[in-house]
Amino acid sequence: MSGITNLFSIGSSGLFAYQKALSVTGQNLSNVNTPGYSRQDAVLAETSPVNGQPGQIGTGVEVTEIKRQVDIFVNQQLTLSQQQLGNFSASKDALNTIQALFSDTNGTTIGSALNDFFSALQDVATSPSDVTARTVALSTAQALVDQFHQNDTQLTDEQHSLDQSVGQAVTDINSYTSQIAQLNNQIAQAESSGQQANDLRDQRDRALNSLSNVINISSIEDATGQLSVFTAQGQQLVSKNISQTLTAVPNSSNHGFLDVDYTIGGSTSTLNAVITGGRLKGLLDARDQIIPTLQGQLNTLAQQVVTQVNTQHQAGFGLDGSTGVDFFLAGGTTASTMAVAITDGRKIAASSTAAGIPGNNVNALALVNLQTTTVSGLSSMTFSGYYQSTAASIGSQADQATQNLNAQQILDDQLQAHRAEVSGVSMDQELINMMQYQRAFEAASRIVTTADTLMQTILSLKQ
Amino acid sequence: MRVTDQQTYQLLLSNFQQVSRNLLTAQQQVSTGKRVNTPSDDPEAFGRIVSTKSSLSQTAQWLRNIDRGTSRLDMADSTLSQVSNLLSRVKELAVAAASGTSTANDRLTAATEVRDIDRQLVALANTQADGQSIFAGTKTDIQPYTVTSGDTVTYSGNAETQSIAVGQNETIQVMIPGSQIFGGPTTDIFGSIANLLAALGSNNASGIQTGIGDMDQAISQVANAQGQVGALENRLGTTQTALTDASTTLQAALSKDQDVDLATAITQLSQYQTTYQASAKALNTLFSTSLLNFLGTPTAS
Repeated sequence: MSGITNLFSIGSSGLFAYQKALSVTGQNLSNVNTPGYSRQDAVLAETSPVNGQPGQIGTGVEVTEIKRQVDIFVNQQLTLSQQQLGNFSASKDALNTIQALFSDTNGTTIGSALNDFFSALQDVATSPSDVTARTVALSTAQALVDQFHQNDTQLTDEQHSLDQSVGQAVTDINSYTSQIAQLNNQIAQAESSGQQANDLRDQRDRALNSLSNVINISSIEDATGQLSVFTAQGQQLVSKNISQTLTAVPNSSNHGFLDVDYTIGGSTSTLNAVITGGRLKGLLDARDQIIPTLQGQLNTLAQQVVTQVNTQHQAGFGLDGSTGVDFFLAGGTTASTMAVAITDGRKIAASSTAAGIPGNNVNALALVNLQTTTVSGLSSMTFSGYYQSTAASIGSQADQATQNLNAQQILDDQLQAHRAEVSGVSMDQELINMMQYQRAFEAASRIVTTADTLMQTILSLKQ
Repeated sequence: MRVTDQQTYQLLLSNFQQVSRNLLTAQQQVSTGKRVNTPSDDPEAFGRIVSTKSSLSQTAQWLRNIDRGTSRLDMADSTLSQVSNLLSRVKELAVAAASGTSTANDRLTAATEVRDIDRQLVALANTQADGQSIFAGTKTDIQPYTVTSGDTVTYSGNAETQSIAVGQNETIQVMIPGSQIFGGPTTDIFGSIANLLAALGSNNASGIQTGIGDMDQAISQVANAQGQVGALENRLGTTQTALTDASTTLQAALSKDQDVDLATAITQLSQYQTTYQASAKALNTLFSTSLLNFLGTPTAS
């Protein structure tokens, strides 16, 4: 009798086990396209045997574990790679926007405006008494000034848009860390009762990668399966089920742009300088380094144009006999404050002597010469040479950022491929498993039928 | 190695993206005709492009200056030819009046014609180009020569000259002040004519004789000035040729840095298109290699 009962339970263990195995297969197949999903395996094992004669008799099959297929090392590499991808792609985007200022395919640049301005001054030199040439010279000077203003405004606009992205990044970080803290809690609860929190762990990995895309992090898992997450110089963002929020605080000594602040135990520190990766790094670099440097260079160029032109201009005489006059506003020595001081073209000091008016053009020729004169305040370059080296420097930074991003993308693709090899779902494999488990399920049900027949035979003995 | 569907699709996707990026760059190059559109396309070449454009703009401006200068010198040249002709006529009249058969009346008639010519000469000395007097030194806004009293002609221009820029730190004079042509260095032309007129009017034979000598000197003085103008025109011409050549060279250099080699670009474009089509084909094939296509519908046994 115990033999037949055992046969029943062996058969039913098979039915249960293969149902579970088929569920796992179904789960895998349905999640074939879920990003970050790790393939699960139903681990089958025989149940504990019972003692008997002549030896131990088996009691069936069970699913001992539903195992998540992951390569922890590859996952860590992927998290690190996200950090670089975030950084490089933010830098690349910012630099591409900035370098458009120097591209004259779509119109005027400071470089072409400088050329136009000096050309117009040459026309004044060639026809010093021609008022039209002087009016044109003034309007090209105004165009040059406008170009400086516009460039400066565009850079400031870009800075503000980067600043908004910094604020968004901080919001994202807080949202990811709170997700991770929540998942920590759920995973610890599930796993303390001996369960495998496979799907929750996948979700947490996804949140961790998203977080890493925004800021550099390191993480460590404790014995209860909970992840501690640190950023920058070891500031803890997640500890068990608690997440520490970062705050974006306007800094009045940096044009009111947002600082990324970390507060713990009542003391606040600013993380800006110690953030070394993620989108936030790229955004902060562009906002606080690249753009201010470029604005500084444009200011230097503006200042030199203003002072060099003014100094020469003061030495000459206008058609109306005026002398010692500033061409550009003396106080406007930055890209944003630069302005043309003269409103009357006749005041352009083309003549070197009062007696030589109107045909004397010696001072106009000296002004024209400034175009090709090296200036010590511009590292001994000409106006146009300095502009050109500024443009080339932004260009090579943009080029470098694009190359970095492409290289990192290739590395990331390889890591993703490796992850897919370990954790990805193969439809073919799952379909074969499905057939295999289906057949086994059919066999197990046959065992139950057979046990039933045996039982009926025995019951019929009594009749 | 396990091959999973994710891997296959990922690989395909990243290849697609790579090819699309290349395709886009190639298309942009072919459609704009430019290899360097932004500084990052080739930072080094971009630097050269900016400086070549600046040189080209300067060269174009120098050529413009030369055009203006040439038209002024041409005007001076043709004016001086007329001056020279008129002076010859004055000399003819003086020679005729100097002969012993000339009566006081004949000399008075000659004086009338010489006076007429004198006023024509004053008008020529006040010639303007683009509204600017060309023989006034840098006092280009005034009429430099005026008949003040009787036959006295006064010069109110100055002795300054004007030059135009025709190269880096290189200028060419485009004006000779009237004081150099009519006022010196050997003869004050208008003064000599005034003296001649006085001699003709007072029937002074020796005065007329002096006048003939003065006219000879005046003619050679104007010829000298014309020679100077011709030399300056020549220099402008030579510089113009050199600048035009330089401009062509600069254009070629700019084109080399900036423009795309269309043959190469189009070949590359069609290569990328082929790769793109191949990727698409691979995607298509992938669908038919799934085990799903070979499994029958599950049947209950």
